[in-house]
Amino acid sequence: MEERRRRKFVDIPFQRKLLIFIFVSAMIPAVIVAICLYYLIFNLLAQQMVIPEAIAYNLIPVARKVTVIIFISLPVTLLIIWIIAVEMSHKIAGPLFRLERELDRRISGEDSSYITVRKKDELKSLVEKINQLLDKIKKGR
Amino acid sequence: MLRKVNNRLLLILLFGVILFSSVVFALQLPKWFPFQTKDALKEWEEKVFKGRVLYSVEVKNTEGYLSAYSDSTASGIFYRLTFSPAAKPMVSWKWKVIKFPDKKTVEDSSNGWIEKDDYAARFYVIFPGFLFSQMKCLEYVWARDLREGTVMSSPYFDAIKIIVVESGKKKKGKWVFEERNIYQDYKKVFGRPPGRIGGIAIMTDTDNTLSVAEAHYDEIRVGYKK
Repeated sequence: MEERRRRKFVDIPFQRKLLIFIFVSAMIPAVIVAICLYYLIFNLLAQQMVIPEAIAYNLIPVARKVTVIIFISLPVTLLIIWIIAVEMSHKIAGPLFRLERELDRRISGEDSSYITVRKKDELKSLVEKINQLLDKIKKGR
Repeated sequence: MLRKVNNRLLLILLFGVILFSSVVFALQLPKWFPFQTKDALKEWEEKVFKGRVLYSVEVKNTEGYLSAYSDSTASGIFYRLTFSPAAKPMVSWKWKVIKFPDKKTVEDSSNGWIEKDDYAARFYVIFPGFLFSQMKCLEYVWARDLREGTVMSSPYFDAIKIIVVESGKKKKGKWVFEERNIYQDYKKVFGRPPGRIGGIAIMTDTDNTLSVAEAHYDEIRVGYKK
């Protein structure tokens, strides 16, 4: 049975960079799309309605409700994006951190077994190639 | 380098288009609507708010006018035109009220004044903003029971300022000429100079009082200097 990693932050500077990168990459398009939709839908509707009372009577209450919903859902959306970003960054930074630690152990001679990774971890094929290399080195001795 | 040149060209082109459209609109001013032909409403857009008001051009010989008849309805007609009112701030029109909306039906009730927000004749000057909520509007009305010169916010939206330019039944059935400096009016009610105008509109409505109103409009002139 594979052990789950308890620490979500492993190699802080690297994972922090990755986390911010993923978070910003998801946030910027989401915010741009939301602003464009909000601006386009309401402005185009207002342009169609034209009569100020009609705009004030029909559009402004709806726009206010939408604004409230956006402001309420924004922290929730940010939190969801943050959790996903942490998970994704962890899936990349975690195996790298582990790989570095395992290689250190093999270089110092503490361990000579194959390096293992979790099923869902990224970089699995890289680890397999490193194992092949370790194997080759062992045979060469 | 090429990208820089392209960007500059694009900016110059954009600036040129804006300048050209401004000049074209400026050359078209003042815009005059004499309503002398049956198809004079062709260039106006109808906007229905609550039911359709009957707008029609009535022509006798070579003289004509725009007639508006509302029976528990509210819809307006709108003409799009863009110009800065700083240089040509005047608008004028003629109007005649045939029948005022009956506000008695709501006067004694405990209703707020949104229920009384019906006028026999309204003339709008609309100033669109970057966002629709930044829109501003001057709304000149002929009110039966409000004092001439009254300025108030619409019950629907603060940025719609109602200016009572004619009051009472005294001139009912007679053509009355109105001329306004929209630049000065805007400055007076909003406290700062106006941006560009987005259009003008006319409305006769009785949707709140659920009564009947009729008014005529004529000789609308927009964007000139006095």
